[in-house]
Amino acid sequence: MTDAAKAPALSVRGVSGGYGAAIVVKNVDLTVPEGRIVAVLGKNGMGKTTLLKMIMGFLPLHQGEVHLFGKRINGEPPYLIARRNIAFCPQEQPLFQDLTVGENLRLGLFDDDAFEAKLEKVGVHFPFLPDRLRQRAGTLSGGEQKMLIVARSLMASPRIMLIDEITEGLQPSVIERLAHVLAEQRRAEGTAILLIEQHVTFALAIADEYAVLNQGEFVDRGPANAADAAERINRHLSI
Amino acid sequence: MQVLILDIVTTAAILFAVSCGLLISFGVLKIINFAHGAFLTIGGYSALVVTQMGWDPLLAYPFSLLVGLVLGAAVERFIVKPLYDRPLDAILATWGLGIVISQVITIVFGRGVQFVQSPVTGAVELFDGSYSVYRLAATGGAVIIGGLLALLMHRTRLGLNARAVIMNENLAQALGINSSSVRLIAFGLGAGLASLAGAIITPLSSVDPNMGVPWLVNAFMLVLVAGSSLLALLIGSVVLGGLQLVISTYGSPILGGLTIAVAAALLLRIRPKGFVLD
Amino acid sequence: MAIEMTSTAPIIRSLPWGKGAVVAVLAVASLIGPYVLDPYLVNVLIRSFFYASVALTVDLLWGYTGILTFGQSTFFGIGAYAAALVFTHVGFDPGMVWLALVGGVAVAVAVAGLVGWLAFYYGASPLYIAVVTLVLPIVATQLVLSGGTFTGSSSGLVGFTVIDLGIEAWFSIAAGGLLVLTVATWIFVNSEMGRLLVAIRDNEQRCQYLGISSSRVKTYLMMATAAVAAMAGFGYANFTMVVAPEMTGFVFGTELVIWVALGGRGTLIGPVVGTILLDVVSAYLSGSMPFVWKLAIGSVFVGVILFLPNGLVPMVGNFIRGGLRRVGMWWPEAVAVADITPMAHGIEGAQAYTDAPALDISHLEKRFGSLTVLEDINLVTRPGELVSLVGPNGAGKTTLIRCLSDGFERTSGSVIINGNTLDRQPPYDCVAFGVGRKFQAANVFDSLTVAECLRLARNRHEPLSAIRRSRVLNLPEPAVRVIRTTGLDKIMGTEARHLSHGMKQALELSMVLALEPSILMLDEPTAGLTKAERHLIGDILVDLAKHDAFCILLVEHDLDFVRQISTRVVVLHHGRIVLDGSVADVVGSELVQQVYAGSGKFGERK
Repeated sequence: MTDAAKAPALSVRGVSGGYGAAIVVKNVDLTVPEGRIVAVLGKNGMGKTTLLKMIMGFLPLHQGEVHLFGKRINGEPPYLIARRNIAFCPQEQPLFQDLTVGENLRLGLFDDDAFEAKLEKVGVHFPFLPDRLRQRAGTLSGGEQKMLIVARSLMASPRIMLIDEITEGLQPSVIERLAHVLAEQRRAEGTAILLIEQHVTFALAIADEYAVLNQGEFVDRGPANAADAAERINRHLSI
Repeated sequence: MQVLILDIVTTAAILFAVSCGLLISFGVLKIINFAHGAFLTIGGYSALVVTQMGWDPLLAYPFSLLVGLVLGAAVERFIVKPLYDRPLDAILATWGLGIVISQVITIVFGRGVQFVQSPVTGAVELFDGSYSVYRLAATGGAVIIGGLLALLMHRTRLGLNARAVIMNENLAQALGINSSSVRLIAFGLGAGLASLAGAIITPLSSVDPNMGVPWLVNAFMLVLVAGSSLLALLIGSVVLGGLQLVISTYGSPILGGLTIAVAAALLLRIRPKGFVLD
Repeated sequence: MAIEMTSTAPIIRSLPWGKGAVVAVLAVASLIGPYVLDPYLVNVLIRSFFYASVALTVDLLWGYTGILTFGQSTFFGIGAYAAALVFTHVGFDPGMVWLALVGGVAVAVAVAGLVGWLAFYYGASPLYIAVVTLVLPIVATQLVLSGGTFTGSSSGLVGFTVIDLGIEAWFSIAAGGLLVLTVATWIFVNSEMGRLLVAIRDNEQRCQYLGISSSRVKTYLMMATAAVAAMAGFGYANFTMVVAPEMTGFVFGTELVIWVALGGRGTLIGPVVGTILLDVVSAYLSGSMPFVWKLAIGSVFVGVILFLPNGLVPMVGNFIRGGLRRVGMWWPEAVAVADITPMAHGIEGAQAYTDAPALDISHLEKRFGSLTVLEDINLVTRPGELVSLVGPNGAGKTTLIRCLSDGFERTSGSVIINGNTLDRQPPYDCVAFGVGRKFQAANVFDSLTVAECLRLARNRHEPLSAIRRSRVLNLPEPAVRVIRTTGLDKIMGTEARHLSHGMKQALELSMVLALEPSILMLDEPTAGLTKAERHLIGDILVDLAKHDAFCILLVEHDLDFVRQISTRVVVLHHGRIVLDGSVADVVGSELVQQVYAGSGKFGERK
């Protein structure tokens, strides 16, 4: 029995699985300690998103276990996992386009009472949000939508965040802002973050560790501040 | 002319009341509840029970709502839930359930037409003629139901969760929403509203074991042209209900009876979104 | 080069002796039945046989093809009213009998065609189809009710002169008719066309992309079943001398569905036995305890839909078969396996090297509401090119493929495929222009065997038969190559649902190749495949482009794979083509490194 206090925020042990008979993720191990940021990099189609869907309970595991803060969660329905101090920013259809900004933010919380206080906190990071609560989320620009996704997941003050390719298609200035917000969140609240990325510079700028996923297996990992980290990752990512 | 407009308004209101329960369950579950007609019937007989017990006729409304809610929730758990992945089979199973309900009612209450005491009766002088007070009261009831539903959907956390499930069930789950309980509540509420509507229409329609069936098809068609939008349902009720009334009045009542079904089928062929605005 | 054609076997000749014997016994029974059975039962059975005939048509539509219909009652009613109206208002003589029968069938077929046009348009949802079949009987009943003395309104028509036959003759006609219909349906559902119905139920999209207009197939099927239902109605009206509006109605329509569901959808014996049993029992019980009987039927129906979606008769059948097998008296029929005949390739002529563009795309644009997914796409590809479309997720790669294989997809811009301008046309027209599309997720027919899947893919070259099933597959050489190298040829009789992921991908690829396309569009054909399988697919694609002058459009995430096999790479980013060049151009490009891997300093704005 692991001591819950010392248990990592997220621990993935020997996990395999995929869609139906197709095995996309093969015997993967991954640990995100409390308060740390781990970046998983890899080209498209290498199983990154699949791994997240398995952690969140949307896809069944063929093998292995997933533990969150020392508690085994695989087999639980997604909505129960989502209530375990975890915030998930999916890459596909991450927002309710036809709901307002305010409603999207509200859905980041489980009860409405704390809304004003949390909005104030999130508004520090993204000052445009409190002014535009009544706007439909689908009418925000691409960058604003990404910021709304992050803002929504910060509403509940999660202890761990799973973020899937948040930088995809973003302007450098927005990426810089998001990097700042995530680093600040970790510093202020000790939030652990699992970052799924293709943007090497962004990932290495805020992560403590990196791991490269190729054909559903981790082929390289190490500290993000290693001198050769970018070079090693790019070897796997390059065309 | 004024009377025609008044007729259109009251007809639309009653159509809206009869269909809104089906809209709620279809919107959230994406499954058509073909027992909707039977739940209307249950509402009619709930009102009958209130009359037979000698209670205040106004009690018929909360009582029918409650009966529908409870029965609807049970139906969701035991019949609809196993069929989430088979929407066409869900139509059939709920139709079968409708048969069961109407036979049980027949066995318990007999097959004859029954009469329910109405809380308001008589006519009121309006536009150089008299107009049924009950139709006006029913319209008021429909407006209240529609208003409360709109508040529920747009001003409460439950409504927000329900809309989130309607729009993107996976994302809703990823945000910690128990979509299974949202479905249960939505179906129960839909059945409750159907039952309430059944109690409301009792003075206008006779109470017999199959009283809900004629309403089912119109409600079904209105919901298909309305998607999951209360506003679109309102528009649909006014436009198609108005058309029905005009054709019945100036054409033939039989053609009028077909108007909603045929017009909705043609509308969907041309515009699959029906009355849903962008 | 000559294509070897071997004989095809009519299904009737392969009718096993056991089934033949059953048919013979039933034929005899239909002749002697009325003399040995109780007269009341004979009366009831005649009605049941007519109903069972209609139930069979519901089963063909719903059980086999997946079209839930509440409207078959209307066609039955049309046939019945044709007899009643003609005999009541025009008079009765042998000529009038034919007029009424032909007229009734003609009206039913015409109405069915109208329903098909309304319900089976490209992109119609199954729910909408159910809605149209629901509106049909409601309209029909109202029309009958509004007919006054002409239709007899709510009391119907009675007492008209009918074909004067004894009850024994009616029994033989109804039973014999049902028997003939059942055998004919058995032949049909086991033919190539019958397998097509199941294919439409399984995966209508794949049918469209095999060049089959499923809308047309469904409409014709509806018309044929309408004719059968109208004939049953005609016979029924002549037998009972009564017609009533309920015959055309929605409740009778749902009753037919209930009989089919209880008996067993997707089987023939189920609906026939189910209808006869339920109708006979109902005739005996509904008099004494009508409500309890209906209550029981309703409850059992709900239970069957929930727990036994295949119905009661197949369950009983399996039970009996299981028992017989245990005592060694029953063994399964051997699965017929098709032989493959490779055709000489290159015979179509279109594959010869030409410099004419295979695809000519200009100013193509795709928007979803306010979101622009593709913008100003201009691309010309030629035979022999293997063009890889790459780019990050959401760049619009799959959307582009979709716009090129379905004329309804794009918002604006022009697409010319092998010299044919693509209008607002469904996928099966794109197939006719030479497009073969393989989807990302393996897209095959789960209930069909490998051989059947491939046979359907040949439909444009060898029309499907409604009475035979071919024992030989004539396939173009590239398809045979895929089949042989992947080992699919050894499992031709296996249902596609049992194949591994890789085998399904290979099957879909060979189905697409069996279309003999000149342009091949492949969406991540290697996703989820092993390294060896990836190599194999790569070699085949290179060969197709080089030797068979295919123009191949490949959406691919695996950039190593792209580098190995492409002759040209097109990079999409944010819905635009940002680079179009050789593999070398792309590999060396700083721009590609940036859009793709997101490297470079993110603080810098270019």
